[in-house]
Amino acid sequence: MTTTRDPARGGPVLAGSIRAFGRHVGLAALFLCGHQVGEALVPVLVGVVIDSALRTGDPAALLGWLAVLAADFAFLSVSYRLGARQAWIADVRADQRLRLLVTRRLLDPAGGAERGRLPGGLVTIATSDAKRVGLVNFALPLGLAAFAALVVAAVALLRISLPLGLLILLGTPPMLYLVHLFGRPLERRSEAEQERAAQAAGTAADLVAGIRVLKGLHAEPAAVRRYARSSSDALAATVRATRSQAWFSGTVLMVNGAFLALVALVGGRLAAAGEIDTGELVAAVGLAQFLVDPLRELGWVNARLAQARASARRIAELLGAEPAVRGGAAALPEHVDGAVRVRGLRHGSLTGLDLDVRPGELLGVVAADQADAVALLRCLAREEDPEHGAVLLDGVALADLPPELARSALLVAAHDADLFAGTVEENVAAAAPPGRDLAPALAAARADQVVEALPDGARTAVSEQGRSLSGGQRQRVALARALAADPPVLVLHDPTTAVDSVTEAEIATGLRAVRHDRTTIAVTSSPALLAVADRVVLVDGGRVVAEGEHARLLREHARYREVVRG
Amino acid sequence: MSARALLPVATPARTLQVLRELLRPRRTRAAVAFAALVGGAAAGLLTAPLLGLIIDLVASGAGPDAVTWPAVGLVAVAVAQGLLAALGVAQTAQVGEEMLAQLRERLVDRALGLPLERIEAAGAGDLGSRVTEDVAQIGEAVREGVPALARYGLVIVLTFVGLAVLDWRFLPAAATAVPIQVLTTRWYLRRATPLYAEQRIAAGAQQQQLLDTTTGLATVRAFRLTDRHTEQVRDRSQRVVDLALRVVGLQNGFFGRLNLAELVGLSAVLTTGFLLVGSGAVSIGTASAAAIYFIGLFNPVNAVLFLLQAVQAAAASLTRIVGVADLPAHDEPDPVRALRPARVRAEGVAFAYGGGPEVLSGVDLDVPPGTRLAVVGPSGAGKTTLAKLVAGVHRPDRGGIRLDPPPPDDALRAAVALVTQEVHVFAGPLADDLRMARPDATEEQLRTALARVGALEWADALPDGLRTPVGSGGHPLTAVQAQQLALARLVLADPPVAILDEATAEAGSAGARTLEAAARQALAGRTALVVAHRLTQAADADAVLLLDGGKVVESGTHPELLAAGGPYAALWAAWADGR
Repeated sequence: MTTTRDPARGGPVLAGSIRAFGRHVGLAALFLCGHQVGEALVPVLVGVVIDSALRTGDPAALLGWLAVLAADFAFLSVSYRLGARQAWIADVRADQRLRLLVTRRLLDPAGGAERGRLPGGLVTIATSDAKRVGLVNFALPLGLAAFAALVVAAVALLRISLPLGLLILLGTPPMLYLVHLFGRPLERRSEAEQERAAQAAGTAADLVAGIRVLKGLHAEPAAVRRYARSSSDALAATVRATRSQAWFSGTVLMVNGAFLALVALVGGRLAAAGEIDTGELVAAVGLAQFLVDPLRELGWVNARLAQARASARRIAELLGAEPAVRGGAAALPEHVDGAVRVRGLRHGSLTGLDLDVRPGELLGVVAADQADAVALLRCLAREEDPEHGAVLLDGVALADLPPELARSALLVAAHDADLFAGTVEENVAAAAPPGRDLAPALAAARADQVVEALPDGARTAVSEQGRSLSGGQRQRVALARALAADPPVLVLHDPTTAVDSVTEAEIATGLRAVRHDRTTIAVTSSPALLAVADRVVLVDGGRVVAEGEHARLLREHARYREVVRG
Repeated sequence: MSARALLPVATPARTLQVLRELLRPRRTRAAVAFAALVGGAAAGLLTAPLLGLIIDLVASGAGPDAVTWPAVGLVAVAVAQGLLAALGVAQTAQVGEEMLAQLRERLVDRALGLPLERIEAAGAGDLGSRVTEDVAQIGEAVREGVPALARYGLVIVLTFVGLAVLDWRFLPAAATAVPIQVLTTRWYLRRATPLYAEQRIAAGAQQQQLLDTTTGLATVRAFRLTDRHTEQVRDRSQRVVDLALRVVGLQNGFFGRLNLAELVGLSAVLTTGFLLVGSGAVSIGTASAAAIYFIGLFNPVNAVLFLLQAVQAAAASLTRIVGVADLPAHDEPDPVRALRPARVRAEGVAFAYGGGPEVLSGVDLDVPPGTRLAVVGPSGAGKTTLAKLVAGVHRPDRGGIRLDPPPPDDALRAAVALVTQEVHVFAGPLADDLRMARPDATEEQLRTALARVGALEWADALPDGLRTPVGSGGHPLTAVQAQQLALARLVLADPPVAILDEATAEAGSAGARTLEAAARQALAGRTALVVAHRLTQAADADAVLLLDGGKVVESGTHPELLAAGGPYAALWAAWADGR
């Protein structure tokens, strides 16, 4: 038997989403049914008015039946309001619930849910797909109500005349099927159209965001041409889709009209033969017209369900993604000394790396090949567990710890760490113990200079993953955040590359001071940082090949000199 | 901060004029569309009298066969109505879509041609929201609003005509609904437009938050910010939920009031029918037809009134789009490629931003063809301003900047490319990003350019090679990769003169070396000005210019300046310490 990847099942996601708001869905269905009954009664009551008041000329009957009509309007209006409200609540809350489920899974410390997907794709799942599944909670009551309306209309028709009622009831399903058949390709086409239109809008926004780059290269004409292409693609798709949409609506009009003619013909003959009266004929014709809406609604609900199933499958796939690292249940002592031992680490390009970091030591790690640095950092950060060997913190293997516990004791500040929306201050304080004074961290990272230069100081807003700051500013704020977190072990990856040499030297001194009794590992080739390290190791070919003080290695080790000086 | 100088907004009169201009080449199609819609609506109106005729025939005791011809008439009406409506709606949508496409293309063309200062003065959001939200708003109106509005509007007008034909006294009866509808619509419009705007903002904020979180997943995990980010997503999403419920409340109020209008009008029509039938003025069939007409108005009237909001919002968006699209076309000189490198000479250049203090004064420089000048100095020395002046972004207040040989038409800008440390990776396939700099580049040229800046290896390693989507929402690139991409674009653009403004700053130490090598390769054979803070770039350049306080402090070759023992030598000593 071949084992294929178990395809994620959307059914439970869809069912769970409906069940979570079952009460609202049920109430909505109830009220919307009431609304449909009220709507169905309007033509019936008009028929009664014509028959019992207009034909007889009885003013009392007129007033009486108009009062009944008013009551029906009140009933249908209130039912609609209550029903629509419940259905919307069920819809938007289900949408939100799924969005949060997706977000929680993405942010799960064990990771792995984002594998193989781009950020834009993840956002689409958390928004569009969640919305489509949520919409089922709106569509379902609507569908039930439409079905109820069909039943009411059927009963009314059968009461008026058995043959006429049967004609309408047996005639509508084929009509519905026909409409469905026409509508199907349309559904897909209009989706493609929306995607194109969104793409054109996205292109425009992106070009405007990159306008400085365009102007620097005089690429504005090229950009305008690209947008024009995207825009005319969108235009072609839209025109195609609206054209088929128009012909679809036209066909529906024709089919409905022809059906109405048939009902009028049969009903007229029955009335002429005296089998039904005039009022009943008016009511029957009105009901035949009325049926069109619930029928169309059922078609719409059906299409939404199909979409929701596809979306639910994507959500289920993401929620059920394999974690990137194992959980682990070991614990750390209350006070972490910060002794890090790496034993025989083979992972990626590493070929058996051994490393001992004493508690409180500032260790420089110079990697001749960035791939070695990346592999080591990923293991330290527990983004991945090592293929062979182990990383031990105070004698406990990192892989045996719950990932968030491991990260609380050993923090890896990545070189390309993102800043988040919020103020500079909020970013720096993000991982700091509550109430901590941020000033020392800001000063050590020389982010105090950044704050001074910003228009609103530490309260300046950061936007677009920090892109609103310059590279040097962003790097210093990110470093201040890592220092403010004050973990027992801090691993810094190339923290000072976008700052000038004077500032870099100041940061080296500040780092040394602020982390004086805490273990710090700096993976870098910056001479300024390496110069303040207690000890430096050189990683080459996947293992440690030299260690000692920076100055001594610089003097004595040719390969080291080559790597550091470049 | 000074008040924002928003981009222009067109007057309603000018907006209408632009719409007419856009419509003119399509007026035949528009006329066909209009005629078809009128015909379709008119055909639809025959339904009620035909039904009325059947009722009258039955009431008058005619035989069963008498109803056959009216029934056939109903079929003919259905076919005509369907065909004409389809034709009308399709043509209307096409006319609208084409006009919109032309307008949005003109908008983007003018938008990208705006000077940077103008965009910055307005705030980046102003232009961004015009090219996205305003265009989307009008797109929605064109797609959903205009055809429906045209069709339903005609149905309503013609239904009233039909009512009048049946008996004019049905008209005032039907009109009893109008005051309620007018008041309801005004009530709704006042509330809906700001509420929908809020809703769009909330949806945008949610999207931005999710992009923020998903792009930074690794950082969120490392710093254990999971709870906070979940909370933020919840907050943004709660706001969306709250607004959605407010929208439901508003729409419920709107439709509820319209239900009342329906009831009032229907009762009036029935009562009028009662009186007219009683006085023998109309037959019972005519009274029935009037009632059927009026019931047929329910949906079109509700739809039209509901769409008025979209139309109102679209009109506001339209004035904002026309405001920018109406700006004069800018005549961008074609970029100069692959000429022999030019000598860059500046004499006595001085510059101040908007009447402020001078940030540069009396700057001279001379860069021989094909050589590299490094501009160094503390921040605030005027390095970036000098780069922008040479690039032709700003014009010097005094003094002049010349190229020798001069570029065609003396267009300084066209011959000079500027790469800053602000990296933007364009969303879409990597190859498309590169082709921004040279649209006709072959795959081979792209690969050569990438190889030249040392980026081919990782580009090929991307999941889908050069076709991998990058930029916003795409495959994330590191700062080094993004900057290499910027340099590859420079190679493709192939200008005779290039300026790098700290273009190698965004990288790790190892990355910085990668980028310096890439920059060297990208600049080979060009005259170049390099604004740098890594002094290795200065040591590597043909000449060095030290700026401070907007003035040239020292200039010469690296060894000359070291030998001189001046400020540059001191700067170098600080830099080289420990290396």
